Amino acid sequence: MTTFDKVVELLVDAKDCEKDSIKLESTWADLSLDSLDTVELVMNLEDEFGIQLEMNESLKTVGDVVRAIDEGLEQK
Amino acid sequence: MIKTPICELLGIKYPILQGGMAWIADARLAAAVSNGGGLGLISAMNADGEHLRSEINKVRALTDKPFGVNIMLMSPYVDEVAQIIIEEKVPVVTTGAGNPAKYMEAWRAAGIKVIPVVPSTAIAKLVARKGASAVIAEGGESGGHVGEITTMALVPQVCDAVDIPVIAAGGIADGRGIAAVFMLGASGVQLGTRFLVAEECGVHRTYKDKILKAKDIDTTTTGKRLGHPVRVLKTPFAKEFLKMEYDSSISNEELEAFGGGSLRAAALLGDEKKGSFMCGQIAALVNKEQPASQIISEIFEEAEKVLCGGTKCVI
Repeated sequence: MTTFDKVVELLVDAKDCEKDSIKLESTWADLSLDSLDTVELVMNLEDEFGIQLEMNESLKTVGDVVRAIDEGLEQK
Repeated sequence: MIKTPICELLGIKYPILQGGMAWIADARLAAAVSNGGGLGLISAMNADGEHLRSEINKVRALTDKPFGVNIMLMSPYVDEVAQIIIEEKVPVVTTGAGNPAKYMEAWRAAGIKVIPVVPSTAIAKLVARKGASAVIAEGGESGGHVGEITTMALVPQVCDAVDIPVIAAGGIADGRGIAAVFMLGASGVQLGTRFLVAEECGVHRTYKDKILKAKDIDTTTTGKRLGHPVRVLKTPFAKEFLKMEYDSSISNEELEAFGGGSLRAAALLGDEKKGSFMCGQIAALVNKEQPASQIISEIFEEAEKVLCGGTKCVI
């Protein structure tokens, strides 16, 4: 399972997003997620992957988060 | 006598913080609350660093008790005021309207206790991990910028989510409210609306009169469409704003422009046509003007009585 697949799984499970609507280029607004949703998502991803993600403006899309997770996993 | 870990953490007699209300929470009110045994807060609001430094100096001239500063993270001067907090060795910082993570390391290194306002469990966990000393779980009953979750629902969930003390805010104006949130797991409270009518509060006379007169159904939330809802009294201005909010021919920019400066107009000028009179749903319980110290001692005396009688339903 790729990082993207896991992120999609979490978005579908925790945020009731439509699986087919989630793309690497999807922004939080595209997925109807507000700032509280994104903080929750990032916290869940940290628990899931055992890494620390800096929650800041650079994480704008699903792809940004996938890249940040992969970088975090490499450094582990 | 009521004593909780918040008293020890902040070096105060009563576990109560005064809300950091923009345009309202100034040095005089903060000092009066601190002298009354609570933790007074100055609002850094949207003003620059020198304004804050001058307020800090004024508080220090009026009290030798601990006090704090509330930082509005959306302020254009946030970097500047964050630095002044360190230079001035302010004992406590509370934060609102955003995620304070990027400043927390520097504040903690300077020995400052950081207490963010949190609207959800995830943000509570995030700031706890970054070293927050406590969190303020603020429910949507409160005045000003609000979240969706109510105090009743939010406080126990935040208490379960973090190991640091939780301060409850939103919908508390008397001893019953304090007793209730203590039962939910909070170990401190933050009150805004009740302090609006403190004798030392310099808000406009009209603002105070409106709070004293307010009834249960007199508040509403404006600005939902803009993504930052604000609880205010249903004044002519608020009603006009709501009408515009539901009018799709009006752009968000026009709506923002219409709301600009409205809190200042209410707090400083008492202007009903242009002013946003922010206050909590509990305003109806606020019926008398008193010195801040009297408000504090009275509500804790009441809380103690309520808590002592709490077993009456248990047979």
